[in-house]
Amino acid sequence: MAEEFNTESMLDMFLYESGQLLEKLEGIILEKQDADCFDDADINDIFRVMHTIKGSSGVLMYDNITKATHKLEDVFYYLRESHPDDVPHMELVEKVLAVSDFVTAELDKLRNGDTPDGDEKSLVEDLDEFLGRLKGEITKQGIQMPQANKHVEPTQFYITPVAGEDSHFYRISIHYRSDTQMSNLRAYSATYALKEVAEDLLYTPDDILSNEASSDVIVAEGFHMLLQTKSSKEEVIALIDSSEAEEINFDELSKEEYGRALGEFGREEVEPPAPEPAAAKDNGNKEAKKEGPKPGDYVVKTKEAGKGKTLAKNQPKQQSIISVNVEKMDALMDLIGELVIAEAVVLQNPDLKVPGLELSNFQKASGQLSKITTELQEVIMSMRMMPLTNVFQKMKRIVFDVSRKLGKDIELEVIGENTEVDKNIIEHITDPLMHLVRNSVDHGIEENPEDRTSVGKPAKGKITLEAKNEGGKVYISVKDDGKGLNKEKLYQKALDKGVIENKPMSEFTDKEIFRFITLPGFSTKEEVTEYSGRGVGMDVVVKNIQSISGRLDISSVEFEGSEMTLVIPLTLAIINGIVVQVGNSPFVIETASIKEFVRVGEDSLIHEPSGEEYIVLRGECYPFIRLNERYDLPDSIDKIEEGIIVVLEHEGSQVCVLIDKLLQEQEIVVKPIPSYVRKVKGLSGCTQLGDGSIALILDIAGLLMHDGERR
Amino acid sequence: MKILLAEDDFASRKFMDKQLSRYGECDVMVDGEEAVDAFMMALEDGEPYDLACLDVMMPVMDGYQVLKAIRDIEAQKGIPKSKRVKVIMTTALNDERNVKMAFELGCEAYAGKPIDVEKFEKVLTKLGLI
Amino acid sequence: MAEDLLKKETDDMEELLEDDSQKGMFMTFQTGKELFGISISYVNEIIAMQPIAAIPEVEDYVKGLINLRGKIIPVIDVRVRFKMEPCEYTDRTCIIVIDVKSTMIGLIVERLADVDTIAEDNIAPPPSLGRKEHEHNKYVYGLARTGDTVTLLLDPEKLIRQDDIVAAMEEVRKEEQS
Repeated sequence: MAEEFNTESMLDMFLYESGQLLEKLEGIILEKQDADCFDDADINDIFRVMHTIKGSSGVLMYDNITKATHKLEDVFYYLRESHPDDVPHMELVEKVLAVSDFVTAELDKLRNGDTPDGDEKSLVEDLDEFLGRLKGEITKQGIQMPQANKHVEPTQFYITPVAGEDSHFYRISIHYRSDTQMSNLRAYSATYALKEVAEDLLYTPDDILSNEASSDVIVAEGFHMLLQTKSSKEEVIALIDSSEAEEINFDELSKEEYGRALGEFGREEVEPPAPEPAAAKDNGNKEAKKEGPKPGDYVVKTKEAGKGKTLAKNQPKQQSIISVNVEKMDALMDLIGELVIAEAVVLQNPDLKVPGLELSNFQKASGQLSKITTELQEVIMSMRMMPLTNVFQKMKRIVFDVSRKLGKDIELEVIGENTEVDKNIIEHITDPLMHLVRNSVDHGIEENPEDRTSVGKPAKGKITLEAKNEGGKVYISVKDDGKGLNKEKLYQKALDKGVIENKPMSEFTDKEIFRFITLPGFSTKEEVTEYSGRGVGMDVVVKNIQSISGRLDISSVEFEGSEMTLVIPLTLAIINGIVVQVGNSPFVIETASIKEFVRVGEDSLIHEPSGEEYIVLRGECYPFIRLNERYDLPDSIDKIEEGIIVVLEHEGSQVCVLIDKLLQEQEIVVKPIPSYVRKVKGLSGCTQLGDGSIALILDIAGLLMHDGERR
Repeated sequence: MKILLAEDDFASRKFMDKQLSRYGECDVMVDGEEAVDAFMMALEDGEPYDLACLDVMMPVMDGYQVLKAIRDIEAQKGIPKSKRVKVIMTTALNDERNVKMAFELGCEAYAGKPIDVEKFEKVLTKLGLI
Repeated sequence: MAEDLLKKETDDMEELLEDDSQKGMFMTFQTGKELFGISISYVNEIIAMQPIAAIPEVEDYVKGLINLRGKIIPVIDVRVRFKMEPCEYTDRTCIIVIDVKSTMIGLIVERLADVDTIAEDNIAPPPSLGRKEHEHNKYVYGLARTGDTVTLLLDPEKLIRQDDIVAAMEEVRKEEQS
């Protein structure tokens, strides 16, 4: 959401409400797209949505929105009043979606601070023509034509303020010559001239007229003004009388700088009155507290020259729900991350390790502290969690649009749309998911129903969108019962495109072959269609998913269908990790990927002539990585029986890693490695440990991949 | 047309006066109480205002109180809805609840500051004033 | 002793930073025999040498990461960056934290010299040997003469960005091809 709006401003409210209504509308439409007609409740709902948006857009004077919604309202008015039969349902659905899209586009413009200038004419004509036919149908069916829908012009209007964008903010400092007489009056005339163009004007010293001594101050320190205006720099300069002035400093400020500068000039933001903290104490009886403003709340006490207004009465205002800027939430999240680190710094402080210390009270208190920080983390996490409902709603729309365009008959089943994930993650999965859904509709489901019936499947295709939450991860899968992936074709294609090594097909596992489609430069369809393969391939999907530490699983059976599953972590910021040491460097390994720790002797080690090493554990053979050799770490343990073997697992493949020793288990706040540093395979980030030192976080997937490449 | 302008901030007053004077005679008041007095006086002289532009944050009485007072006086005098003075609130308080309250109190339009002159004129047309 | 010196430097700096006219002010430091200067507007702060967490598999001049009050920033050794022999870190060694287009980076320098005002007139472009491959690699954009000494003025944007730009360009090219 654009930040230039005050939260809860009239415009914000309109955007929010209309957005909600449109979402509801799409929900109804997509649910009923395959039905024969809308039932009475739906017609009523749609009518009311249109009516409301028409009304509020009328008050705000967005005429094009008003006209478009008005027309559609009319259509549904006739449907509601006359119940004609044989309404072309599909056409009606399209009309509603067209209006909904139009209004959504206009709302987006408003959100971005642009003028909603979309042309509604063709849309309205289209609807008119449809309405004409509808009316003809009503007459033909001999139903009584209802009285024309009375359209009440709004009688009250809201004029949205001019977007602050065109305003300029200046800081002007005038230094007069030291022999200037009555510099306070000169300063006054400057302010007077500026009031002509000012939207806001503050100056210091502020008592230029009432205090003659101010002229000395002005001569000594200069006269400073803060100006908000639409006029350009040149126009403003022309207004200021520059005779006697020794120097005029003229700085254009950004809006933020201006806000800060206001503070220096002794202005506090006066509106709206802040809630009184004392009132928050009695937290019973929420109903009674939801008081709105009342006449008399905004009586201005006194107004001092050059200063902002203060209100005589600071009425406390209460609300049980507030909207919070996402940035603030992120900042809070970061702070809590810092807190977790700070807690570790205190609780693992080396000072506590002095022998003979009596720490029982400290332990008790620290136990309490840990409990609170854990709870705090859980609370902030839950605040950031959002259901996938909206994302899935979008997918419904895509299936609808694409399948209609391609002339495929497809049913969409949605499971688990209430699954909650972190807000950041939602932002990252929408596009990849969209791509997967499009792919399923476009490439997954067969072109001809005959191709389906001939292999014993129903003529109607089916796509299943499912989300579930399991073991700290979210699984979102897109499943179709289409033609599935043909391994031979994939292999051949990959060879032709040169995206894989030239190896016989039998050397690849099924999974590996399916993964070819995620390689850059691979696309199974020859021709690029409008809906998939518009230059962005599956490799982009995979990249996006990997950027949030997720992965894409592909499974498919030819002629039966394919399933693409996104596996993503519930949250990104804090993980449980084990800190280990190799040489002098600490590393962190995510607890969830650790299978076990073992100590083995030299006899478990198998040396290949090529230099490769393997470890045999309970008869199974695992690849072996010596971290110290991989990363050139000095002063580390080389003898396998002196170190510790960590068995790691990622997506079914396992690897053994040799480390020197285990340090501790800890909650780790993941921080990115600064972008300046080249990306190192096998490292996914860094973190700060209890003693303030920095540890690198091992990325098992990267480690495995790296290993594969080296071979 | 006869216009009542209540605005305590000089810069805004100067600006609004300039804008409104194009449409008619404009009386300028600097606080809420003066505005109600002026409204009363005009009513008693039989030359009521056609349009009142009220700032919200003003000394003595705020714009909402003025609006309420004006509507109360009109109701008491039995002035029909169609003959009532058209009121436009002008303020930087664009809180949805403030706007709703003003509508409930019976203003015709609510203009957020800085005022969009183009739309302002459009509203005057819609209200049948120009 | 070194700490005191640093503190004094930092205080001096803060005074300077408060002043509007940072123009023409350079933080100079010695690394090897040469004296280098960096425009003060890039300098965030100067800190004493810190424990550095090494990162494997990166360029040799990237020494690793330090923890600056919870912020994790990379540090590079200026000597190694200029392909000079690395030197032992002593208690005079310090880290200049610079902020270039909101990328924070620490520069390890042998020792701080001073804060100097260098007039525009005294800055000469570095002598060019006319070889093309040198063109894109100029961290030194000017030579400043103060008395007998010559200060090499560094362009921090080039200093920290050069290689990354090359790498990024290659990435972009690859992307376009695919």
